This record gives sequence, C-alpha cells and structure tokens, in this order.
Amino acid sequence: MDGVHDLGGMHGFGPVPVDDDGPGFHEPWEARVWALSGPVMRRTTIDRFRYSIERMAPAAYLTSSYFGRWLHAIETLAADPELLDRSPVTRPAPNLPPRSCRFATGERVRVRNAVTPGHTRVPRYLRRQTGTVRRVACVWPDPTRSAATGVYGEPVVHYTVAFAAADLFGPDTDHVVTADLTETDLEAE
Amino acid sequence: MSPDPSPAQRTESLERHLRDHGVLADGEVDADLARAESADGNAPSPALGARVVARAWTDPTFRARLLDDAVAALADLRPLTVPVAVLEDTPTLHHVIVCTLCSCYPSELLGPPPAWYKSFEYRSRVVREPRAVLAEFGTEVPEGMELDVHDSTAEQRYLVLPLRPTGTDGWDEQRLAGLVTRNVLIGTAWPRPAT
Repeated sequence: MDGVHDLGGMHGFGPVPVDDDGPGFHEPWEARVWALSGPVMRRTTIDRFRYSIERMAPAAYLTSSYFGRWLHAIETLAADPELLDRSPVTRPAPNLPPRSCRFATGERVRVRNAVTPGHTRVPRYLRRQTGTVRRVACVWPDPTRSAATGVYGEPVVHYTVAFAAADLFGPDTDHVVTADLTETDLEAE
Repeated sequence: MSPDPSPAQRTESLERHLRDHGVLADGEVDADLARAESADGNAPSPALGARVVARAWTDPTFRARLLDDAVAALADLRPLTVPVAVLEDTPTLHHVIVCTLCSCYPSELLGPPPAWYKSFEYRSRVVREPRAVLAEFGTEVPEGMELDVHDSTAEQRYLVLPLRPTGTDGWDEQRLAGLVTRNVLIGTAWPRPAT
C-alpha cells in the first residue's frame, strides 16, 4: 500500500538522533507493550502486524512513538476473535534452500509496478526500477499473502537485487542500494 | 464526553483483554520483562555480535561458513528463526543496513535496535545520502570507497562483518571483540582502532 510508513528516500527529515541509543522505552507502558506483543505475534504473521501499523492514519503514524505504533497494531490484531482462538502459527525454517530459481546472479531485472492496497514489501522508491540480481536472499513465504491470511504459506524465492543510487536518486550519488524482493515482484528486463 | 484513554490506560485494557481470552497468562508480562533484564551470556546483545565478528577475524573456517550460511554457522551459539546474511567489508567496499519500511533488525543476535535506527530520519535518508548520514555518526567514508546500503525489505536480517583493524596481530577473540560496537555491526561506525 502507498502508506506514510514507506519512508525510503523521502526528503524533509532532519539529522539522525545518533545519541538516542537505547531501546526507546521512554515510559513503562512501552516496555509492557513490547512484552505483551509476543503472545499476540505468535498467533499471526509479522506481515499482518506490519500491515496493521501501515494502515494507521498518516498523521497518527508520524506523531505516535515507536511503541505507540506497536500498541495500535496489537490492539487491532487483538480485536480479531479468530486470532485470539488460534494456536501459535508455524514458521518455516530460516535457511531453506531454493528448489528452482527463475533469475540468475548477474541478471538484469525490473521491479514490477505492483500497486496494491494490501501489504507489500516493495518500497515505492524501487518500483519500475532496474537492477542486478546479486544472489538468492532467502526462501520465505510471500509477505503480501502472509499479511492477508495471518499464516505462513508456501515459501518463495527472494533475491537480493542491487540498484545504482544514481538511477534512484539522481546523479549526485555514487552508492548502491540493495533490497530483497520476491520472484513475483520482478520481471526480466 | 470522556477524554481519549492514555497509552498507559490502553495498554492496561489490552493486557486485561488478552488475559481474559487466555492469550496472556497472569504475570507473564512481568516475567518477560524480568527475563529481558537478566539476560545470560549468549542472549542477544551487541556483545554477542562482537563475539561473532571476533571469531570470524580469527577462524577462517568459521568465517567462510558464516558468509555462506550464517544460520547454520551460528546454530550452536544462537538458534535463529529468521534468515540472516553477513555482509563482508573489504578495503574498497563498506556495507550499512537499514529498514526503510519499518525497523527490521538482527534482533535475534543483537537484541533490540537502538532508537536512532527506528527513527524516520535514518529510515528516510540513509538510502539517499548515506555518506551524509554516516558523517553525522562521525564516520567518514574515504573517497573512492564503494558504499552498499542494504534495505531489509524481506525477512532476511543483515549483520556487517567489518575489516579487522591493523595492529591487532596475535590478539585473542575477547580483546578483538572489545573493538566492535553495536554501530559497527550496523555499519554506521568503524571498529575502534587498536591501542
């Protein structure tokens, strides 16, 4: 979804608060939200949790504290009676090998312009951009589906794709940005 | 009309709601908070990440395994439930990690992320102007050094394996680990120089 959470490359934010080095519990309730999130998160997917945050009203997102956003998400998830009745969901193994890969290392690929009101892990600044496949990143369930269903489905291949920052952000840059994208987010150039 | 409940009041209601539905046991939140404070030596922390780096600097076999399959290489030290990849710095290439969409971080190794990592400022800016952002940390990236910024857009989490500082020949793992701070493992700082 085109949400305010999709911050990559946005102008207008100031200096990084480099000295704000702690976990960010500014008030006791924030630590409690962190602790009570575990039992709720175990009954759903991390993607559904993220999607709950992404759907906050933009002004509320920007003015809530980090754990204020968590509180909103856990409240949203905990309002679903089906989730409360559910047993903990099964997670896939973290280092599954790929069974087959559509794209090879070194191949040029374009990011699809997969606009959706649902959850996506394709940042706006990468849509329609062309990059180079570096390697298989991981084999993990599709985040759009995991957010929609609240359970982890069939794992799919994710690729680490490298993009020239000059293509993304203009000629004054000389670095590289990589992102991990699913096979269905990509098409051959 | 009564005013909107405060976050603290909302948290209390939420705890009650979860207890009523059997999702949360009595005292579970307090027990979890106490456990987080009394973490053992292998618990996720920047120190654990520093140990991994120091071991990679001194043990070539471990280093090769770590770069090839970090989840398998770290299984004895810390069982991981998410994919993890280790990014190797070279004399001409430096890595830095971010999550522009939320705050994905290698928490299973390093513990909770620092507040700055979760800030809108870091998330929005480091993909566009990493040299300027690193300079705010006091970290100058030499001219000609390539910079790779890794946006953690999937479940895979990243950890930076920095260059071993010169002047550390013969140092043991513990002493080497003392050169590695949390920001080094994220890529916003260099290891401390040998003294």
